[in-house]
Order: sequence, then structure tokens, then C-alpha cells
Amino acid sequence: MTTVLYLSRTVEIESTLADPSDLWVTPDDLTRVNDFVLKPEGACLDDLCVPVNQEFDSDLVVTRGAIKWFSLTGFAALMGQEFVVDRDTDTWSFGSIPITRSSYIQQAVAPDFTLPDRDGNPISLKDFRGRKVMILSWASW
Amino acid sequence: MGGENFEIIAVAEDTEGEAVAGKFYDAAKATYTTLIDTQHTLSSLYGMVNVPTGVLIDEEGTVVRFDEGAYSRMYKAGALEFGSDEYLPIVKDWLINGADSPYVKPAGELSALVAKRTASEAKADAAFRLGSFFELRGDEERAKKYWQQAQQLHPESWNYHRQDWSYDPAEAGAKWIQKFRALDGKPYYEPLALPESSGGQN
Repeated sequence: MTTVLYLSRTVEIESTLADPSDLWVTPDDLTRVNDFVLKPEGACLDDLCVPVNQEFDSDLVVTRGAIKWFSLTGFAALMGQEFVVDRDTDTWSFGSIPITRSSYIQQAVAPDFTLPDRDGNPISLKDFRGRKVMILSWASW
Repeated sequence: MGGENFEIIAVAEDTEGEAVAGKFYDAAKATYTTLIDTQHTLSSLYGMVNVPTGVLIDEEGTVVRFDEGAYSRMYKAGALEFGSDEYLPIVKDWLINGADSPYVKPAGELSALVAKRTASEAKADAAFRLGSFFELRGDEERAKKYWQQAQQLHPESWNYHRQDWSYDPAEAGAKWIQKFRALDGKPYYEPLALPESSGGQN
């Protein structure tokens, strides 16, 4: 079992393509990890589409039998995304994808997040749209 | 504060979650929104390196201020001083005057505050997350390994150090003072930027 960490997500992945250095997942698992969807025009998130040639095997996509495999590590290299892997437990932790931060950095659009309240109910920043908000990070330590 | 058009969202950056953060929310009799962030997701998304950090967001979802050290008062520990008593007046002014408040920052200035994330800092974030994952699973050996990697990759993040030290309370205070002194005159937090008209001093 492979485990992939991305933002607040922990995604367990049943099947990967055996590879000593890279992490290949199915297109469905790509979406479970980071919301990117593999379409004919490329790997897409909302209006953003990163062109991916799927006719021939590449660093990003290979076809084995009828199954397509997408390389999360190849995608990370292309997007300038950092990751750290614990190979003993097959756990891969991916940092944020720089381009997904650009609306925050350049236009000061507050990144949305969903975190549990004290009872475990998920609360999102976007629930408060239309009101002024002060976020205050703190800690017990 | 708080009201129909204003919401305070407190976010606890604590690996142990409600078990350690809950009593502080109870003691504060919190009536605002109280969230638990075991993986430091908020700090990662917003590029925060210490607590408390305050972010003011307007009705359209635009960040208008980003402040490390958003204390409501100064703290003194011997010769060491940190914190600020200047933050609450900033928030109050913004609630009354909105976009016309002199404390509202143009988007360009905000980007200078939050954009500073190098590849090594981004990798530190991934390493910290990996350490938190193992800590929550009770694998302390691996947690230590990746939390230390995060601290080496991004030594300026106090969050990474302080969360780690919290598992060794007997040494945490001494380590904090040692790291604080190592700043050698650099501020623990960036000073709050106050406009001239307020009469505030940086």
C-alpha cells in the first residue's frame, strides 16, 4: 500500500506501477491526490491545463496494457513541486504546487481550506464569504 | 469583537489536536469559530512561520493584512520581549473603515510578505507534513527524523521547532531561549507595519 500526503489529504493508493524511483498512479488516483484531472488536452485543474502527450510513453504518462499510469513525481518535476519520500513505508509527502499558489501570492486571494471544528465537523473558509474574517493561528506549545 | 459581519476563526496548529488545544478554547470560553489543525495545513497554505499569526480577509475573500506576532499584548521574559499590543486597534479600525482603513495593504505589498518560499522551504513543508503523519501514527522515530529534516531545510520556521520541542517539555524553554538569542538583533516577528497617521512606531 502506498500513502500519498498532499495539503491536508492522506490518500491510500492500492495499485501503483513498479518503479524504483518514480511514483506512477492511475488517473483516478491522480485526482484523489491533487484534484488534477487527466483529459485529452492535458492534466487540468479548473481553468488550468498542463499539456500532457498521451500518444507515446513519456516521463508523465505511460500505457501498460489498457491502463494509463500518471507519474506524480514526473509531474512534480515539471511543476517545480517539492516532495519527500519515506521508502521503508512507501509514504510520499508532496508540497504545494507553486502555480496553485499564484492567485494568493499575486492577487492576495485567500487560499481556501477545510479543517475540522472541535466536534469534527468540516468548516471551510469559503463558508464565510460576504463577511469580514480574521484568521488567528495559535498553538498550545 | 465578532458580530454579523465579522467572524474570528481561531486555528490550533497542534499535532495532538483537541486533546491539547481544547482546554485553551474552554478557558477562553470561545464563542468564535474554533478549528483544529493537526497537520499545520493553515501555516503551510499561507506561509506562516510562527504563532500567533493574524490574517485579515475582506468580504470578497481577499487578504488585506498578514501579520506574524498578532498578540494582543507584549510579553516579557526577563530581558526578552516579544509580541505586540498594537494588533487589536488595527483590527478595530479595519472593521469600522473597511477598504478605507489605513491598515489595509495593497496586494503587491502582501505578496512581498508571503512570497518568500524557496525550494528548500517548500521541501521543508513536505518533510514536516511527513513527520506529523508518523507522529500521529505513533512512529516517533520517523516523526523525529522528518521533523528534524524540516528544521534543517527551513531553520527560520519557529513552528517546526516549537511543535517538535513540545514533545520534550523539559528542554523546550532552554531551546527557545537559545534560538531566540541566536536571532542576534533580528526581530522574533517582523514589526507590525503601522501607517504614519496612527502615531505608531515600528
